[in-house]
Amino acid sequence: MKNHALNKWIIQRASAIVLIPLLLFFLYSLVDLVNQDYAGALDAFDNYLSIIIFTLFLIFSGLHLKLGLNEIIEDYIQDERLKANLNKVIILYSAVLPIIGIISLIKIIL
Amino acid sequence: MENNSGPLSPHIQIYKWQLSSLLSITHRITGITNVIGFFLIVLWILFLSIGPEYYNFYQKFLRTFVGKFILVGFTWSFVYHMFNGIRHLAWDFGYGYEIKTANFSGVIVLLLSIITTFFIWII
Repeated sequence: MKNHALNKWIIQRASAIVLIPLLLFFLYSLVDLVNQDYAGALDAFDNYLSIIIFTLFLIFSGLHLKLGLNEIIEDYIQDERLKANLNKVIILYSAVLPIIGIISLIKIIL
Repeated sequence: MENNSGPLSPHIQIYKWQLSSLLSITHRITGITNVIGFFLIVLWILFLSIGPEYYNFYQKFLRTFVGKFILVGFTWSFVYHMFNGIRHLAWDFGYGYEIKTANFSGVIVLLLSIITTFFIWII
């Protein structure tokens, strides 16, 4: 981990590439899911492939949005303390949301 | 010397808008929109796991006009960010920097994002 900025740069691009098929799968399922009732939606999640793809989508989205938001903060916020605090909020947001999502998915399939 | 109140680039008041800069800031705005969309996605999965009362409430809202508008809007935002992201990846690998090429790829991204959103929801 010699070059922190370079690592971030690479992870942002790598997560972007991984997210392309995941996003397309998500949008494709979304159209179907919106027209389903509760039982139908549960059914749609009743296979491990959907659960795995959604889990990956949640994890990589969290990672990608964290790096993107960090960059925006870096560009527009000059106050160092505010910047540090906002970055903590971002870490919390980008970690807690995927965790909630994954726990929910596990609950759905169990 | 402490001066944290100075203007930040781009200086909007004197800035000449061009397609390249417009698409660039749109990439950021859709990025932030997607962060909000991501919250709604997680909320939707959470409600599905809690039970039918919560889920049906959410579902009912999505079927209203406002709900549909939000769905289509977020879809466009995600799709635009994806296509323009691919454009950025091409730049990262060193391709597409010519002004003509960059403008052309910008128009393509815009068109693709609209067409894809249309295909996802209308067809």
